[in-house]
Amino acid sequence: MSARTLKWIYALAVAAASFSGVGQLPILKRYYITDLPLMGWAANFVTLSTVHYVSVAVLIGLIMWRLASRAKVRWGPLTWWGWGLLGLLAVTGAVKMLRNVGVYFPPPLIVTVNLTHMFSGMAFMFTAIAAGLARVGKS
Amino acid sequence: MSRQVNRRQLLKLAAASAAALATAGPGQVAAEVAGAGMVCTLLDLAKCVGCEECVNACQEQWQKTVPDPVEPIPKPFPDRVPIEDFSKRKDITDRLTPYNFLYVEHLEFKYKGNDTELHIPRRCMHCLNPPCADLCPFGACRQEANGVVHIASDICMGGAKCRKVCPWHIPQRQSGVGLYLKIMPRYAGNGAMFKCHRCLPLLEQGKKPRCVEVCPEGVQQIGPRREMVAKAVALAKARAKADCGDEGRWREYIYGLTENGGTNTLYVSPIPFKVVNKVLMAEHKKLIKQENAEALAAGRRPERGPHGRPHMGPVGDVMDHVKWVSWLVVAAPVAGLIAGLSARNKTGGSNNER
Repeated sequence: MSARTLKWIYALAVAAASFSGVGQLPILKRYYITDLPLMGWAANFVTLSTVHYVSVAVLIGLIMWRLASRAKVRWGPLTWWGWGLLGLLAVTGAVKMLRNVGVYFPPPLIVTVNLTHMFSGMAFMFTAIAAGLARVGKS
Repeated sequence: MSRQVNRRQLLKLAAASAAALATAGPGQVAAEVAGAGMVCTLLDLAKCVGCEECVNACQEQWQKTVPDPVEPIPKPFPDRVPIEDFSKRKDITDRLTPYNFLYVEHLEFKYKGNDTELHIPRRCMHCLNPPCADLCPFGACRQEANGVVHIASDICMGGAKCRKVCPWHIPQRQSGVGLYLKIMPRYAGNGAMFKCHRCLPLLEQGKKPRCVEVCPEGVQQIGPRREMVAKAVALAKARAKADCGDEGRWREYIYGLTENGGTNTLYVSPIPFKVVNKVLMAEHKKLIKQENAEALAAGRRPERGPHGRPHMGPVGDVMDHVKWVSWLVVAAPVAGLIAGLSARNKTGGSNNER
């Protein structure tokens, strides 16, 4: 697979994970996003959640490939900040996934995990957008 | 509620559970395992006379815990977001509202040529794996270790996602109350959600829920899930035998055992639930039409959805998708690792740009 293709797969997976993650807040229908052409599916939280899991699986696969192959790439986290946020997202996401298949966690822990996942996801998303814009500006 | 069990009771419970499991399908076995340690209620609908003592007791105990909204309630933006206000209609007892966690369906219909009455107390089913709690973005809707599913209304934003993902659309919204008022009341959130918490504060004191305690007919029982399942299955078999002469059709007479992957509320009826649901839906359709006309006449926006009146139809497991898709998440790092190591071997470890 070419470097360009991998980069695009990564970008699409980040976009899908971010959109389906933000969409877990009930705002897409409220603010007419689901009324846009071909966006009706986003009104269904189960479909959104499935998209989130699939895109996250692609991201995890790519990140593990990158770590194992030690390839020099131009996508994915490049700083300790990015890796830190990704780590937080992975740990909190794993707890949420276990909760969703029926494993019990005490409610206060779930609140902490949910808020950490949400805020680190937003920080990751905005950092990625800023880094992308900075790179475009440079080139 | 005493949690002490002597050896004889334990043996009886084990035997009853084994009998129930031996006669159950894999769905029920899975529900049993998932519900270990949970407390479950069993409602024998043949006993319910529809006196609504349970409804009155529930309202007396909990209505005062639901706050009144601010005046005026902030108008949500955009206009499509409805204000849902039941604060002037607290006396409603024929549906679920933020101020009424339990109601009784009163059905009168012909069954096998006979005039039949059935009264069904309705409230949250307290699912084994509740989508309302799993998918709540803040963790306001939550499940306790004893299986009670409840909403911490002090951190709920009232987005009503819990109501949308609930197969029975149980939680009800009161606009103008809760945390959202302190953040961006017009642009995010719309109140707080409320529903039955099976008298959690009383359960924690070792007491029974009010609806169970005050029922003069003993319609409801509460106890460890295994025990309640064993009783419900035995009762459903007896009801099936009495109604159609075939004990093997007991699943048609029990509701809540496998619905949405299993719940901690088990209904047993003397009439198959597919018949009950048909009558229920016809009744709901009439009421919804009538209420929408009344709302329009009163200048209110007609409500969407089932108007706080849950169905009793078949329900698949809402969270079932996570079971298969989470395998993808587990397999992905392994696949990535293998592919990465293989690429590294091929290139001899050189840091080529990808």
